[in-house]
Amino acid sequence: MAVVVEKEKEAVGTELKEVLVEPMNYIFGRIMEILTIIGLIAMFVPGIIYIITGKGYLSRDVVVKYWDLKASAFWEKVMGVKVFGYSWFLNHLSATDCLSIIGVCILAITPLISLFGAEIKADKKYKILIGILILEFLFAIFRPILMGH
Amino acid sequence: MYAGFYHVFKNVKGGGDWMAWWFWPLFMFVFTLLIGIISPVSGVGGGVLFVPLSTIITPFNIDFIRGAGLVMAVTSALSSAPYLIRKGLANIRIFAIVAPVMVITSVVGGWIGLWVTNAYPDGKYVIKVLLGAIILLVFFIMVSSKRIEFPEVKEEDRDSLSKKLNIWGEYYEPDLDAIIEYTTKNTPVAIVTFAIIGFVAGMFGLGAGWANVPVLNMLMGVPIKVATATSMLIITANAPAIGIYLTKGAILPFIVVPSILGITIGARIGAKVAEIIKPKFVRWLVLAILFIAGVLNIIKGLQGMQIIPPILPGV
Repeated sequence: MAVVVEKEKEAVGTELKEVLVEPMNYIFGRIMEILTIIGLIAMFVPGIIYIITGKGYLSRDVVVKYWDLKASAFWEKVMGVKVFGYSWFLNHLSATDCLSIIGVCILAITPLISLFGAEIKADKKYKILIGILILEFLFAIFRPILMGH
Repeated sequence: MYAGFYHVFKNVKGGGDWMAWWFWPLFMFVFTLLIGIISPVSGVGGGVLFVPLSTIITPFNIDFIRGAGLVMAVTSALSSAPYLIRKGLANIRIFAIVAPVMVITSVVGGWIGLWVTNAYPDGKYVIKVLLGAIILLVFFIMVSSKRIEFPEVKEEDRDSLSKKLNIWGEYYEPDLDAIIEYTTKNTPVAIVTFAIIGFVAGMFGLGAGWANVPVLNMLMGVPIKVATATSMLIITANAPAIGIYLTKGAILPFIVVPSILGITIGARIGAKVAEIIKPKFVRWLVLAILFIAGVLNIIKGLQGMQIIPPILPGV
């Protein structure tokens, strides 16, 4: 098929077989791999510190007390606020629990950043499809900021 | 037995108990470690086991469980997808076609799921009943679905969309010692099916491998290994739905961090265990657990709505 490809070698006994992996696929996977590692580290390190020390934006003891409440009631009870958007953790990044949420955010945007990489190497039809996907990801992520809820 | 089990757990539920703060993170770590180990062996995704079981045995509200379940499903998919892409098994062409629809429906599903629990007094019970029904559906799909290792897609079987978008791929199949080329059929019908799957995945925080794989394999005619790998890639399309849970404050590090740590380590152990133990036995064991979890969620939801008299404790 008339597609520019990169070759991934598979060792079979003494023989090497070549599997054709499109550059679009390859760059997508590479970016995903790197960002996933960064996201996991960013989530685990402050997250584990938070669980052990119990000190964060949300006090461990209070979280334990009210975690059976639905999300909206939990926030009203624990902090006396209604939570909308991302400000609840972005405004408190000195706290370890909020810092570990940044790791979750990195994981959530990893497919988006990987798509940017794939977009560069994609052919015309797939540039359009991936472009639509990128716009959808951006809208889903920024909707709370744009629309206020 | 369930009542005894529930009361043991209820006593360490929190609210002033001295051991509560460390018990639940430790429990979540061990619980998800076990899920991570049995998932690769049984072929049942981590999110599908995590969400219904957590609603039964943990004290967390279903909002936080679904949030953690979604992060877990996406993280597991992100961890394995790059390797599968390099092997030619996960196909971004298929992903680019179905994901634009799935992103929309998974976000809408996540939004509606949280709206139902927060807007109605009985919302959490409605979600429990629906979750139980979905889990039973997963059970029946997994019991009844057949798998075709190398489906044949002839040129005349291909739909116009598959041809126009030149959907193809190839990978090395060690069992045949050959490079396998493949293409797809029934693409428009598959897109509609993936829209429904995305909605369910977003609404309940479930991974959707249980539904993705049969659609890719049986409906689109993709080889089973490619279907399983591409399903991982498709699950990453649920990542924007994490934003919905974040904006509602439904992701708590206290629950998410030990859970993701457990499943990440467990999945690595599970991949090795899968080579040693008999997958058939584990598969049936997990299916039995799924069936029980589905039934218990329906019962707890119905008694919460006071449609049936109290049978189980813990509502």
